[in-house]
Amino acid sequence: MEYYVRTELLGKAFPSEKKGGDDYVVFEDLNVGIRKGEFVTCIGHSGCGKSTVLNVFAGLEKATAGASFLGNRVIESPGLDRAVVFQNHSLLPWRSALKNVEFAVKARWPQWSAAEVETHSRKFLSLVGLDKSVDRKPYQLSGGMRQRVGIARAFAIKSELLLMDEPFGALDALTRGVIQDELVRIWSHTDQTVFMITHDVDEAILLSDRILLMTNGPRARVAEAVVVDLPRPRNRATIIHEPKYYATRNHLVDFLVRRSQELSDDQAGSDARTVPTSVDGELVYPPEIIPGESESANLTAAMAAQC
Amino acid sequence: MNLQNDPFDPNIDVWNECGERGKSDEAVPTSVADFVVSPKEQESQEFLSRRSFDSDDPQSVAHRAIENSVMKGVFQTDLNRRRFLKAVGSSATFAAINAMIPFGSLQAMVDDAMKKIEKKELKVGFVPITCATPIIGGHALGFFEKYGLKVDIIKTAGWAVARDKCMNGEYDASHLLAPMPAAMSMGLGSTSQDWRMVTNVNTNGQAIVLANKHKNRNDPKLWKGFKFGVPFEHSMHNLLLRLYVAEHGIDPDRDIQIRVIPPPEMVANLRAENVDGYLAPDPFNQRAVYDGVGFIHKLTKDIWDQHPCCCFGISQRFIDENPNTFIVLLTAILDATNTVEVSQNRVAFAEAMAPRNYLNQPSAVLKQILTGVFPDGLGNIKRVPDRISFMPYPAQSMGVWILSQMKRWGYIQNEINFKTVSDDIFLSTEAGKAMEAMSDKNRNVKWTDIPASKYPVYDVYGKEFDPNKVIEYINGFSIKRS
Amino acid sequence: MYFRIRAASLSLVIFLCFLFAWHVLTADRRVAADSRTLSPGERSQLLENGMPESDAIGYAQKGLTYEQILQISELGLSLEDIDGAGGIEAFGFTTGGAAEEARTGFPSPALVWEEAYEQIRHPFYDKGPNDKGIGIQLKYSLLRVGAGFFLAVLIAVPVGFLVGMSPLVNLALAPFIQILKPISPLAWLPVALYVIKDAEQASIFVILVCSVWPMLINTAFGVASVKRDYINIAKTLELSPMQTALQVILPAAAPTIFTGMRISIGIAWLVIVAAEMVIGGIGMGYFVWNEWNGLNLASMIFAIFVIGFVGLLLDFLIGQLIRFSDYKE
Repeated sequence: MEYYVRTELLGKAFPSEKKGGDDYVVFEDLNVGIRKGEFVTCIGHSGCGKSTVLNVFAGLEKATAGASFLGNRVIESPGLDRAVVFQNHSLLPWRSALKNVEFAVKARWPQWSAAEVETHSRKFLSLVGLDKSVDRKPYQLSGGMRQRVGIARAFAIKSELLLMDEPFGALDALTRGVIQDELVRIWSHTDQTVFMITHDVDEAILLSDRILLMTNGPRARVAEAVVVDLPRPRNRATIIHEPKYYATRNHLVDFLVRRSQELSDDQAGSDARTVPTSVDGELVYPPEIIPGESESANLTAAMAAQC
Repeated sequence: MNLQNDPFDPNIDVWNECGERGKSDEAVPTSVADFVVSPKEQESQEFLSRRSFDSDDPQSVAHRAIENSVMKGVFQTDLNRRRFLKAVGSSATFAAINAMIPFGSLQAMVDDAMKKIEKKELKVGFVPITCATPIIGGHALGFFEKYGLKVDIIKTAGWAVARDKCMNGEYDASHLLAPMPAAMSMGLGSTSQDWRMVTNVNTNGQAIVLANKHKNRNDPKLWKGFKFGVPFEHSMHNLLLRLYVAEHGIDPDRDIQIRVIPPPEMVANLRAENVDGYLAPDPFNQRAVYDGVGFIHKLTKDIWDQHPCCCFGISQRFIDENPNTFIVLLTAILDATNTVEVSQNRVAFAEAMAPRNYLNQPSAVLKQILTGVFPDGLGNIKRVPDRISFMPYPAQSMGVWILSQMKRWGYIQNEINFKTVSDDIFLSTEAGKAMEAMSDKNRNVKWTDIPASKYPVYDVYGKEFDPNKVIEYINGFSIKRS
Repeated sequence: MYFRIRAASLSLVIFLCFLFAWHVLTADRRVAADSRTLSPGERSQLLENGMPESDAIGYAQKGLTYEQILQISELGLSLEDIDGAGGIEAFGFTTGGAAEEARTGFPSPALVWEEAYEQIRHPFYDKGPNDKGIGIQLKYSLLRVGAGFFLAVLIAVPVGFLVGMSPLVNLALAPFIQILKPISPLAWLPVALYVIKDAEQASIFVILVCSVWPMLINTAFGVASVKRDYINIAKTLELSPMQTALQVILPAAAPTIFTGMRISIGIAWLVIVAAEMVIGGIGMGYFVWNEWNGLNLASMIFAIFVIGFVGLLLDFLIGQLIRFSDYKE
């Protein structure tokens, strides 16, 4: 299988509050795939279950059907092979920035000496530009700085998979931009696989290799995987001059504004899947689309994926 | 009682116990013959002159205490003893009793005990009232050290706590209300544990005090609607107050209110006008006068002279495990009791007990109580030397009186055999009996063989109380609940 | 800073007003009886009764009425007898009420200070088992509170953890906690005395029982309301349950737990005084009781101040713990 991190026919449903009522199905038979070393973002409206997918990868949430894999291992519980950056930074407020990072580093390499732990932690804090603020407690840091500590902590443990749940959602646009640049820079020096959830189209384009587009819930699915065919290293200022930038952006916006609802299975009013998720025992992953390429090329690609 | 007084002397009162006072046949010369010394008398005098007593010598005191105990066991009352001594003669009596109960070996036992004290460091509890003077003053004036004991006396907040601390083994012995050891032995209100009342520590010593605002109602007939405090429900205080008001036509259950108030809170309650008066132990009666809060309406001595009050209790287990210590401790207490009974010694006791470690009271209050020279709070000065007395041996019949009153007021509902229960309650009231309990297996002494008139008749507030006619006594009261 | 100084000045003014009011309200209003002279007839009657003339004149000068002196003479009381009974000043005749030395009514601030000064000067004197300095009394009370409180911590924190982490245990223990919590600790005292049969241990048990609930409930609450995110961090870092408890939940819940301890220590300090008043022996409660017993109000008021001050100190100490453990999100 070419996907390093993947879900197979993943399902999540909540039992109905009324006795005998129908379960609320967030999604079912969901196939999500991420290649090794790939930066994949997931965009979708609230309630489509994208955070659930991330949490299932993190091992923090259990799906009600299907399974998820990291390499050949089934993901059952959280682990040090996956690092998570939460939306609200989730730093331990009674520890300084440095201690927060050290806390994770110590857990990752318990055999390390205190000095090793500290050197390693400081290195990653300085990567996010926090050399001078390492001894401050989270409340003494700005929102952006806190999120940087969270990112430093996630990168510091050198996990195989980095999971980020709207890491910049709570930040103002200016700060967000700066940190996005930093994230790109740091990530480009690693070979980490990243799965990130965002609402921000520009962010997704700037950071991603591929963007998974999810239809609206309930019974959400990944409609397509948009390949961001823009050269790296990318830069916020110059990326907009890339020829395929607007095509990609328009495609995404169009999806979010119009197609995410139209493609919703629930909207179709039928139990039957409009798009099959497995054919002859072979799992079907969402079609990869390169905006700006000819429609036919995309169609072919889509057909190929469906067959 | 005074150990200076030789129990073999036919001419003096030694015990002065209840009811006997003033009744003993004082040798009032009525004829010439009375002035002639009879041969028996002469023989007695010779016998007595050979006997020596040194109050500073622990052995001598212990010996005297034993003789006293035995004589008390045999004769019960001064009246009996003096009659017998007069009739038989001191030396003959000594010989006769010695044949039955070998004084020599008993005394040797005490001498022996003092050499072999099992437990030298003891904890003795007391409730801070003047009733415990022999224990408190005895400690302050070194009576325990005199006998080679190192005793810590611990202040206890109340009778229930004293009982619990006794049962818990925190105290080796304690100052208790007279009926408590028996109640503990029978398991009334607690788990059963054998405790012995080894000696009485005092008689009298309580009083009825009224708030100053009632100076013009100094007559029990005017007390309808009053609120009174007593220190404990099952106490002499409650029973004496009930008897007293009932004799003046006041029904203690209907006309007045009686509530239990710990002694230290009496004065504060009186000042706060929470109560109109109380019947409480000293020093809280005299203290009310001293603080200008109340006046003494009546001493309990004037209700029932030589009524029992508090005792010195010790567990049977302690006696069994430390027989020698027990004898020595008992002797020390008896010595202190006898010493404080002598009026010349009382000022010293009062001063010794004043500090915070003991009664924590102004020494003047204690002196007024112990010397019996005191203001009554109504502008009078009184002189009542036996306002409080220290008597080791109460008569069994006192227990019967208590029972009769408990029956009268309905504390006891069922029919009872007064004498049996009283024997139980005042079980081993005497030092002598306790010594028997201590077991004298190799000496073959059977105290029960000794004929004794345990139940003398005496006078309680103008009514003769015959322990053999309890029902008639109860029925003689117009106000009663049974 | 300026604000604090103003507040402190205001506190001082209130305290001084309080002292002044106290002083005014407790002023001694007793009047000494006037000195009298005896008429020759009275004098001769007293002499006839056997009273030395000097005694009679002495009594009269101290303000005793003729009737009172006559009574003394009729009772045949010598000056020695009177002195043996505490002296004539102790009879209340010279003041027309209480004895001269009696401290009637509420003590004045000066008297309390006098008493306090004596006590503070010798805080560790030891004049026998029933009379020890305020320092020794405090030591015993604090030791009891310390022991009971420490045991309560040992029980309340782990059990609170369990209750806070497991909704099942929470629901299962809730009725017991709710029933046991409102029982007055002093109601436990007789039971404890009866069962434990040791006053010392019983008082420690009472402290334990009264301080365990606020801590338990607060610990449970603190643990239950630890942010899900913190637990998730621990999970993603593969911390063991013990590590999670000690390194994440404990520090996160610490301020709440310490707040529970603050409530507990306050209650414990209230209760130890009451318990010692019942049990006696030694300790601040005993001290108050003993002074009450002797009706030494001045000493009691001093003790009350000391109790209040120590209570403040204990509260402050735990308050410092809260400050150190507290964090801003």
